[in-house]
Amino acid sequence: MTCAHSSCASALLRIHGLTVRYAASQEQSSPALVGVEFDIRRGETVGILGESGSGKSTLALSILGLLPVSTNITGSMLFENKDLLQFDESAWGTVRGTRIAMIFQDPGLSLSPVMRVGDQIAEVLRAHRPGPRKVRKQQVEAILRDVGLSQGDRIYGAYPHQLSGGELHRVAIAQALSCRPDVVIADEPTQSLDATRQAEILDVLREVNRKFGCAIIFITHNPALLAGFADRVIVMYAGRIVEEGPVPQVFRQPLHPYTKGLLQLVPASLQDPDRTRGQHLPALPGSLSHSDRSTRGCIFESRCFARTELCQSESPREVVPEEGRRVSCFNYEN
Amino acid sequence: MRKKQKIVAALMLLVALHLAILLAGFIAPYNPATQNRDFPFVPPTRFHFADARGHFHLRPFIYQWTVRPEGFNEYEEARGREYPVQFFVRGPEYTIAGLVRSDVHLFGVEGPARIFLAGSDGFGRDQFSRIMYGGQISLAAGLLATGISLFLGLLVGCISGFYGSWIDESAMRLVELFLVLPWLYLLLAVRSFLPLHISPTQTFFLLVAVIGTIGWARPARLVRGIVLSAKGRKYVTASRGFGATDSYILRRHVLPHTYGVLLTQAALLVPQYIVAEVTLSFLGLGVSEPVSSWGNLLANLQQYNVLASYWWMFAPALALVIISLGYLKVANAIHERLQSDSI
Repeated sequence: MTCAHSSCASALLRIHGLTVRYAASQEQSSPALVGVEFDIRRGETVGILGESGSGKSTLALSILGLLPVSTNITGSMLFENKDLLQFDESAWGTVRGTRIAMIFQDPGLSLSPVMRVGDQIAEVLRAHRPGPRKVRKQQVEAILRDVGLSQGDRIYGAYPHQLSGGELHRVAIAQALSCRPDVVIADEPTQSLDATRQAEILDVLREVNRKFGCAIIFITHNPALLAGFADRVIVMYAGRIVEEGPVPQVFRQPLHPYTKGLLQLVPASLQDPDRTRGQHLPALPGSLSHSDRSTRGCIFESRCFARTELCQSESPREVVPEEGRRVSCFNYEN
Repeated sequence: MRKKQKIVAALMLLVALHLAILLAGFIAPYNPATQNRDFPFVPPTRFHFADARGHFHLRPFIYQWTVRPEGFNEYEEARGREYPVQFFVRGPEYTIAGLVRSDVHLFGVEGPARIFLAGSDGFGRDQFSRIMYGGQISLAAGLLATGISLFLGLLVGCISGFYGSWIDESAMRLVELFLVLPWLYLLLAVRSFLPLHISPTQTFFLLVAVIGTIGWARPARLVRGIVLSAKGRKYVTASRGFGATDSYILRRHVLPHTYGVLLTQAALLVPQYIVAEVTLSFLGLGVSEPVSSWGNLLANLQQYNVLASYWWMFAPALALVIISLGYLKVANAIHERLQSDSI
């Protein structure tokens, strides 16, 4: 497959042919990720869009090497031209948290309940940038201010259960940013927050991206969050990338039937409730089932509105309809 | 609330007993090895408030036991002279924990009378003093052996649960092997391999080592389960994602989860190991005379005439029962507390 970008050479993180198969599903031969490839350039914001089970979180965990040992991973992940998949634990120690960091899903569970949140942020600093305790505390308070938590003292000494949902999300972001990483992976960072808090968190991330110049991989199932936030969007379905392109173009003119379906799901007419009252909200027919992955043909065939006979027997190749975009669908071949 | 009070009472009882046994030299009126050959198997001394002339004394007093002329090892009180019970009296010198030397005892009477709170044994040694000093041996054996067991259990459990795969498999099979072994017979077998006539100190440490190394299996298995559940938590994955090493995760995120179970296990193992020491000493494989332990104190009961005639020789068993029940009560309380926490 060819790279969709002209700037391949300058890519910070280059994922090529990444296939992940969890050990338990070996016999069923339905891998969690199939031939995933994309690039992340320095300082850009990339959205990864897909429904539950599309392999978004597996992708995030594989970039940090956090998948279980029994997982079968093939392909390559070049970070500054070094293949992360060849790393051993001590080599990972120089990357995790300091070069590539992750804002974990559900901060209520990914922060230890028995440690003060300030200490948990400070521990990341301590692991990578040894220094006196006092300096570290000041650094942590500075980071907390960066993510919009002005009451540094109160937050520093608090345990996770003493903080609100929005504060916990900010703490999780602060933890990921503590060492100024080059790549921040945000796995559903606004899950379980209401719309105002979501917007605030997005603002924080945008600010962080502007200020520190770290690339952000933003994983979500909600296309609305990516509009006006991400530079590029990668749409995933059943462990494969089905479409990629700049956010404005993809959202204005989606190519893959799945992307089209996803974008329709955003209730566009909220300002005009009278018009939509009594109508069903749009939904994609069918569901992402495991059998889809093993059968021949296009993975999206069973749910697709534009399917042809060809879709049942062969899987589509990736095509580049225009500069910077790619899509896997027969409708665009030739 | 009442339940809580019971637990506090059990805890305080345990603390008081341990303190008393630690301060055995002060609490016990006599040296445990001092013999009074004229007074074998003297029954426990009786306390009186009213003397023969009908006068009432505020301070309790005792009479000296004398041998009844026609009887064998039968005693009666010599009513001729009262010996008031005195506190903080000077007596034989002792050291506490090998550090503090003193000769002040909590209570005593003037000579030539002797106060036998729990009677005397066949050599006329004060049984109360022997129980106090013997408790030091028995409790220390229980506590030290528990420490060894928990240390081994924690080590094996952590490694097994954290690293998994073949390490886990082989460690758990070893645990099962140790769990099916009948520990009493194993103790007897191991003890019988070792030289019989060695100094009491050597015997003591041997005993502790043997008891301790046999009991690590259950704590190991419990710790493994906790480590397994703890290492699957999201914040452990997150911590790894921020660059934490295995040893850091074990120390900061996994070990704290095991403390509760270790505490319960400790409270269960201590009485169990005290009984183990008592059993071995009772059978003559443990600490031997002249050093006393609850086990070799009870060994006197192996003679039928002692068992039948001198009921006060059961006193060490009472101490054993009280301490064991105290520990079990506390273990139960910790366990219930942990259960209610996890819901």
